[in-house]
Amino acid sequence: MRLFSTLLIGLSSGAIYSLMALALVLVWRSTRVVNFAQAGQAIASTYIGYLVISRTDNYWLALPVALVAGALIGALVDVALIRTLNKRVKSGPAAEMAPVIVTLGLLGLIRSTVGMIWGGDLKAYKAPVTNHGFTFGTTTIPFSPYNLLIVITTVIVMAVFSIIFQKTNLGLSLRAAAFQPEIARLAGVRVDLVRTIGWAFAGGAGAVAGVLVTPSNSLSPNSLDLLLVLGFVGAVIGGLESLLGAAIGGVVLGIGLAFILEYVSTSLAFPSAFIVLILVLLIKPSGILGKKGGRGA
Amino acid sequence: MGEVHKSRSIRLLVFIVIALAAFFLSNVVDELRVFQGASLSVYIVAIASIVLLTGYSGQISLGHGALMAIGGYSAVLAHNHWKVSIPISFAIAIVSTAFFGSILGWAAARLKGPYLAGTTLALAVGLPSLANQFSVLGGEQGLAFDVGAPPKSLGSDFTQYKWYFWICALAALIIVWITQNILTSRYGRQWRAMRSAPISASLSGIQIGRSKVLAFTISSGIAGLAGAMLVMTLNLVTPSAFPLSLSFAIVTGAVLAGVTNLGGGVIGALVLVAIPDIADLLAGKMGGAEKISANLPGFITSLILIVTVLLLPNGPKLSKLVSHKTK
Repeated sequence: MRLFSTLLIGLSSGAIYSLMALALVLVWRSTRVVNFAQAGQAIASTYIGYLVISRTDNYWLALPVALVAGALIGALVDVALIRTLNKRVKSGPAAEMAPVIVTLGLLGLIRSTVGMIWGGDLKAYKAPVTNHGFTFGTTTIPFSPYNLLIVITTVIVMAVFSIIFQKTNLGLSLRAAAFQPEIARLAGVRVDLVRTIGWAFAGGAGAVAGVLVTPSNSLSPNSLDLLLVLGFVGAVIGGLESLLGAAIGGVVLGIGLAFILEYVSTSLAFPSAFIVLILVLLIKPSGILGKKGGRGA
Repeated sequence: MGEVHKSRSIRLLVFIVIALAAFFLSNVVDELRVFQGASLSVYIVAIASIVLLTGYSGQISLGHGALMAIGGYSAVLAHNHWKVSIPISFAIAIVSTAFFGSILGWAAARLKGPYLAGTTLALAVGLPSLANQFSVLGGEQGLAFDVGAPPKSLGSDFTQYKWYFWICALAALIIVWITQNILTSRYGRQWRAMRSAPISASLSGIQIGRSKVLAFTISSGIAGLAGAMLVMTLNLVTPSAFPLSLSFAIVTGAVLAGVTNLGGGVIGALVLVAIPDIADLLAGKMGGAEKISANLPGFITSLILIVTVLLLPNGPKLSKLVSHKTK
């Protein structure tokens, strides 16, 4: 029972890591940038969701509002900042470092803007269903209806993404623009537009991750920092290139961490995630799903 | 050879002049400025570690705040448990952080750009909060760090802050002097070659991996010293002394001057020290709400970081450096 329950808890936290990993992978594939500002975009969207919750007390309205806000913010970041950056910084020693530093700066900018608007104090974010575990007979397991909701929502978001990517023309363009931008452009794909749509999808996925994770913790301008790191670890486990890999990587990390928390020690969650990150990067940098000779940079 | 000696003695002269100027300034300005002088020294040392690592060896680190935390905690533990003197506790901070950095550097040398950035960012987010989970590190309250009152021989009106400033300024001068010499040495040239043309560098006999690990180790040691200096000026060490924004600030200070120049790093450090004052001024004009004044410094730092990269991606000093190299 304990084993099964730990597995379920891991699945639920892993689902959220997957969404963040997915957001990072979407941007990485289209733009070759690991978007550290993703945590900032997600926190801004989550606060916008908080506005909705505090006015209407309706989580189910907050989730889509945050998703749309996240998508808009993502598109805005690409159009306003990343396009400018790519135009201005083409070569030189800064070309490799500039995107990292700019997204880092953007993370700081959004965090402090959010802090200026809403303050640094912790905000409660009410879950739509109870966070008390399911009860079977006399035993109550940690896995709660809210955890179930997280898993279901994530599965729906992932399903929508995979339908878009596999079955629609837009998905085909997205994949083509990521795979061979020049050839895609020759084939009539509007690469810049498609890339912005990719950023919007990523922003939406990050926003959903933020709104889903927040009721279990609480909301503050830096409450999603750890999620960014765990999403990055999940994305790296999956190879940083593959959307399926990101989904699997996040879940694998979530379940692994859940077992360490349950059976070893609660203080080891971060160190073990960090060690997993280093080990994957050293032993199999292309990720568990990666093809041989994965990308270096 | 003679020219090298000459430039070295001129540089030594400059350092002595700066030291004397700092000494006289510390006697005329008020307490707040003296304290800011100590912060300035901390930032100068921290930025020097980034200049060495990123500007020379070409490795990016967003996690130097975490390395500073290691240095800070090492210094405090050594001072409190073994009752060692300040210089010894600083030396222990340098050695222990350099040791940690050599392990991290071993992994880092195998990672490229965004992977290294992500890994070091993970460290900056997660490592300081680890201290909460070990009682020997004092948890959220942290550990007190009392280096004691200034020696009686300096006079009765010699304040505590002035004492901190003297210690920090001296440490910063020594470290910048040493770093400058490392950067102009064989190793500095190897790093520069490795950064701008890795393949040619390895063909001409530079061992890239070993060279990168060495840079990471030295840079970590310097960051560890900065951490020890920081906790001394704060009188205590807590996880919250090393927030993510500290790592951001150091990177900003280094990027401001193009990451390749120690002198520019001093200007970057000046900007970082000035930002809270500027933010206070602006926040006062905006109504002075707590949430504004608490977040405006971070806002300004991030804005400077973004604007600098967009406008001067290769830094103001780089063209000079390139022409110097081709001579």
